[in-house]
Amino acid sequence: MTAMARGLSAPGDVFQDDFARHAPELPGAALDWLSARRQAAMDAFAVTGIPGRRSEAWKWTDLANVLDSGSLAPAGFRKLAPQDSIFPKQANELAFSGGFLTQASVQAGIEVVDLAKLDAEAPGWVRDNLGTLAHGLDQPMGAASLALMRSGAAIRVRTDTSLQLGFFQAPSQRPQVSHSRILLVVESGVSLRLVESHFGADAHGSLRNLGFEIYLRPRSRVEHIRVQKDAPDAVHLTSLGAAIEQDASYRALYAALGGQLARMDVNLRLGGVNSDALIHHVAALAAGSADITSVIDHASPHTRSRQMFRNVVGGRGRAVNQGRVIVRHGAVGSDSHQLFKSLLLSAHAEADAKPELEIFADDVLCGHGTAIGALEEDAVFYLRSRGIPEPEAKLLLIRGFVAEAIGEFGDEAIRDVIWRELDAALASVESAQ
Amino acid sequence: MNLLEIDNLHVSIDGKEILKGITLSIPEGEVHAIMGPNGSGKSTLSYALAGRAGYEVTRGRMLYRGEDLTGLSPDRRAALGVFLALQYPVEIPGVTTITFLKTALNAQRRARGESEMDAMQVLRRVRKKAHALNVSEDMLKRPLNAGFSGGEKKRMEILQMSLFEPKLAILDETDSGLDIDALKLVASGVNAQRAADRAMLVITHYQRLLDYIVPDRVHVLAQGRIVTSGGPDLARELELRGYGAVVEAA
Repeated sequence: MTAMARGLSAPGDVFQDDFARHAPELPGAALDWLSARRQAAMDAFAVTGIPGRRSEAWKWTDLANVLDSGSLAPAGFRKLAPQDSIFPKQANELAFSGGFLTQASVQAGIEVVDLAKLDAEAPGWVRDNLGTLAHGLDQPMGAASLALMRSGAAIRVRTDTSLQLGFFQAPSQRPQVSHSRILLVVESGVSLRLVESHFGADAHGSLRNLGFEIYLRPRSRVEHIRVQKDAPDAVHLTSLGAAIEQDASYRALYAALGGQLARMDVNLRLGGVNSDALIHHVAALAAGSADITSVIDHASPHTRSRQMFRNVVGGRGRAVNQGRVIVRHGAVGSDSHQLFKSLLLSAHAEADAKPELEIFADDVLCGHGTAIGALEEDAVFYLRSRGIPEPEAKLLLIRGFVAEAIGEFGDEAIRDVIWRELDAALASVESAQ
Repeated sequence: MNLLEIDNLHVSIDGKEILKGITLSIPEGEVHAIMGPNGSGKSTLSYALAGRAGYEVTRGRMLYRGEDLTGLSPDRRAALGVFLALQYPVEIPGVTTITFLKTALNAQRRARGESEMDAMQVLRRVRKKAHALNVSEDMLKRPLNAGFSGGEKKRMEILQMSLFEPKLAILDETDSGLDIDALKLVASGVNAQRAADRAMLVITHYQRLLDYIVPDRVHVLAQGRIVTSGGPDLARELELRGYGAVVEAA
């Protein structure tokens, strides 16, 4: 597998090959604007090919080495029986199977376009925005998801509301790949609660490759809550790009709870004065690896970013946290902080962390910190001396460690779901040696 | 009847002997104080009684209500009624105080075969006790000890003691880091829990605490042994003459 993947990550890999053969059949192939963006994205992807160790941003997540790319086949549309969403019902609900939109229930004030059926009728807001984020050199898999996009949805929100995106992966006997995109445009002054989940059955090394672009117009607010719990043999990549305009706010909680390899590639641009971004990320894994790599670009004055990553790693799991904060020339009064912490529960668990700062402006406040360690013996003894048996004491401490990141996201019903999924994941992490 | 009988107790940490043969009995209903200079083994004794890992009993026994504590886990000892108020209570981020109290209370009840209490029952019980110790509703909602002042941490320890209703309470330097008002509040909380069926072991460096929690007996610990014992006056003598003179005379 390794030899084959290495051979394929040179020009002419499976994705470039797919594009060369099938570009004329992809959705919206007749649209010049889209074809040009797909081609540009494929050109960007081709610079690295399937990324791996040779690329600095992927040195800890060697995708080329993990993917059995020689046998990956594009996932086709398969209608699944309606699935229950994991989060409580929201005002608007979209369900996806293998990346394809299978159910949509939306209210007034929300428009949805099925990207698998993109044609000349595509509205202006899709044409203006689709494929302009999460498509470039620093998100090569995002670029691939655009070039090879076969499914997904474009969503425009014009009223305060909540939206659930439920992604399901049907079981497959052979490794499949889905390249899909979500475009989300949140109009000026609108508040949106977005809950997103990724669940999947046996994947046999399947790859889910999602490109996610979010436009936050001036004064809009997005609360994004995401639980990713793919099958243990699945590979999950999400490349998220967000453009955050003046006085807009993006607050996110990402939970990575499953998969052979899961990577969240986040690129946020604080492009308007007084915009802010907050990312809380929790990972709980007993095997495989969970990677979050973020770039936060302070491009305007008085912008603010906060990142708190918490990993609980057991067994032979591996957590990767990379965070690059850029403060552009003229972005005075920018304020950024990132803190990455990992709890290692077994001798073979691993965590890698790399915070980076690139500051080109004066009068800014930037801080970062990392901590990697085991449970504190003092704390375990303290709880046990109060009558709490050792396994329960440890679990209480582990829950406390992630609870700081969960905070007050969502509402009580949403947090109940997050905790239910987290507790299940933590129990398996705690028991894995 | 003696609630606690320590007989020729030797305790080592990392192979180094710290306690070198301690013999001490505390009858039910009594409060005993252990005083001693830094490094005499006071905290080692408290951790050995509570069962902290790494505090190895190499000789002797610690009989609690007739049962040897050696070999029992810390949580088992807590369920049996042994409570240690720590000199430095540990901060537990992310776990609210009330969640912790409920978890601990129910773990002890479960271990004793009693029925568990629901959140409302626990809250009612905690509130009743919290008021007297000036523990606010806000403190109960905050993560346990995280960002608490020194006084708040010590009051939280005493709140736990009053909630768990132990038979043997060990207070390890509960006075350290407290100003006089905080000390009085904590001491009155402790005094309120003196009971005919409960024994207390108050460990302190200074006599000051013993003005407020008046002990039945005072023992002086030096170099891992009890060198002298006496009534409450012994504490005042130590304060006047210093540990050096008293230990030497003994």
